[in-house]
Amino acid sequence: MWKDIGGREAGQIRPNSFANRVKSHRLSTLQLSNYKDIVSPHKGSINSLQVDLTEERYLLSGASDSSVAVYDVQRATDYEGGGHIAKHRSVFVVDKQHEHGHKYAISSAIWYPVDTGLFVTGSYDHYVKVWDTNCTRVVMNFKMPGKVYRTAMSPLAASHMLIAAGTEDVQVRLCDIASGAISQTLSGHRDGIMTVEWSTSSEWILVTGGCDGAIRFWDIRRAGCFRVLDQSQSQLGRRPPLLKRKRPGYKFVRNGPLVASMMVSISKSLSAGQNSSVKPRAPQKRSANGNGVRQSSVGRIPAKGSVRQRLHPGMLSSQDRATAHYGAVTGLKVTEDGMYLLSAGSDSRIRLWDVESGRNTLVNFETVRLQTSKPIQLATTQDPAVVFVPCMTAVKAFDIWSGKTCLTFRGHYEHVNCCCFSSQDQELYTGGNDRQILVWCPSRLISDGVDAGPMQDQDNWSD
Amino acid sequence: MKNDTNSDSSKPKKRRRDEEIEAESSSSDRTLSLEENLTFSDTLVALRIMRAQFPHIDKVSIRPFILQSQLYSSVNDRTQVDRELESLRRERVLRVFKLNTGQDDHAIMFLDDYLNQIECVVKRMEEKKQVNLEVFEWFQTHVLDSKLEPSVGHEELCSLLSIVGKVKDEHISLLINAGILTRQLIDPDMYWFAIPNIGSVLKGLSQGRKEIISFLNRRKYKEMMLALLEKKHLRFSPLDMRFHLRDLIGSGHLKTIHTPTGLVVQISKD
Repeated sequence: MWKDIGGREAGQIRPNSFANRVKSHRLSTLQLSNYKDIVSPHKGSINSLQVDLTEERYLLSGASDSSVAVYDVQRATDYEGGGHIAKHRSVFVVDKQHEHGHKYAISSAIWYPVDTGLFVTGSYDHYVKVWDTNCTRVVMNFKMPGKVYRTAMSPLAASHMLIAAGTEDVQVRLCDIASGAISQTLSGHRDGIMTVEWSTSSEWILVTGGCDGAIRFWDIRRAGCFRVLDQSQSQLGRRPPLLKRKRPGYKFVRNGPLVASMMVSISKSLSAGQNSSVKPRAPQKRSANGNGVRQSSVGRIPAKGSVRQRLHPGMLSSQDRATAHYGAVTGLKVTEDGMYLLSAGSDSRIRLWDVESGRNTLVNFETVRLQTSKPIQLATTQDPAVVFVPCMTAVKAFDIWSGKTCLTFRGHYEHVNCCCFSSQDQELYTGGNDRQILVWCPSRLISDGVDAGPMQDQDNWSD
Repeated sequence: MKNDTNSDSSKPKKRRRDEEIEAESSSSDRTLSLEENLTFSDTLVALRIMRAQFPHIDKVSIRPFILQSQLYSSVNDRTQVDRELESLRRERVLRVFKLNTGQDDHAIMFLDDYLNQIECVVKRMEEKKQVNLEVFEWFQTHVLDSKLEPSVGHEELCSLLSIVGKVKDEHISLLINAGILTRQLIDPDMYWFAIPNIGSVLKGLSQGRKEIISFLNRRKYKEMMLALLEKKHLRFSPLDMRFHLRDLIGSGHLKTIHTPTGLVVQISKD
């Protein structure tokens, strides 16, 4: 460590690589904290955890007993064990007794991305509520048609204040805080939506994962989704190969009407490596080619014979039935550089997708079983090196490029639902069905606890 | 492939003599223990050896297939397995089928074996004087060649088959009856590709898995030496112990621990 500091001083190591070295060393020593404890006032399983995005100081948790609590993770409320163990009690708790509180389990609690003055909660009582943190009052209420599974706000949004809510209804709803109404609905999924995430590279792009196993990318300025991820579309490696791209071609069918002279991009199954002659395909609808060359909306004819529906070109994607997982999609995480997407499914598979090409990178994460009934929250480190996944009662950290397990965190008594990584302090917070929030910190010796509260002045005589 | 001739279990002495002549020690044999041959370096090598080690089952004529979980336990890097499988699939060396026995079970079969299997089925149907048998040829030449994924949609199937002749519903029902296609439960319009005549083997697979897990669960420390476990005979499954062990280790239900006396197999918790 000192050698590295000397090297940084002399200019041998660049500042970024020095910081990364320290961070990854601390990451490799993560273990259940023996000097920090979060006292959770919840009486139900913890469904959602999030550290605020501005200072990474306040942790917001939502639980199944309709309670929401906020903790300050940087300053302890009191000390125990002779000043060695810092206890962090909640700054405030909101529960069922609150006059406008939720009535059923809270499935998602997130901070307003700009500052900690507001937070948004979504619950199984079909409401999405926006709260004022300082007065703990409900400022706005949105009624949804079904149980709310996830809410999300874009961390990059500069021109909109939309809350994306995924419910058990097939449509994703965008609620606007500025106007107080539900401004948009996005249709395309064929079953409830379990996870919603905004892209970290564009404020207009939303990714949703549904119980039908599909992951869809939506640009909220247009109708319909522009990409559906298909697990059979794969690329061997982190980046797509340069030369083998989909190329436009003619399509025609012997028995159907000749649709030659239609420059339709070849649909996904003729992917890279199969540069064979043009194969006859099912008659395709005209795809909206205004979206660029890599568009490939597969417009299939609906099941019964030759009845063709006239659909808006943006809605062609609702016919695309590609699935990303063989079960429901239970967790989604976009990496902070916006290039890769991680998805966890109830088929106990975690997949890494390349966002730009929309393909499965075929990295195999060794998971045996994942929770299937509730959405789980994944966490990644900042330079995406490690991904933390709640696997039943343990949390496993996988190396993102090779899929090997680096660390396993066993401490919860029951299933873990959510985990949140604070990249500033390299601390991991996990919450589970056993109503506990556990803190996993890099190990440190007791003797160098510089900010371990006031030590009692005691004589050390033996009597 | 030399290894194919060695998997005939009815001539043990001759096989052993052949073994001595063959220089490679990696040729398949029941006398070589699973412990020494657990991992391989390459996916294709692993596939070929496991295909040769496929147990011979009486009463059912089935060509060898390999489960994807067996591959995971045989090659160290799972991502490498996935990627090599993908490139082999694209080169049309093998096909991947989704099985209905578990959450994520896939069976891998070499393309020649699959075509042979279809031939057997067609022959049996010919003996029963079935009509419309030309659909199998259309299927082999057009559908198998262009559709490399494990599933196919109804429209696409009809359009691919109708390149040659008029396709009727009876043709599709014939394909389903032969066991080459199965309907998907979640989506009425999509079919899975399937291996015909595999039903009893799959039943044996699930029963064998349950038997091994319950046997190990009943033991005091839920573990056993691999060398001893390998010699046990399974009552409910026609497939041999080595097949099941590779499958269970690869799917994560069992884990192997290195001890000074050899490998120990243990039930993995979560």
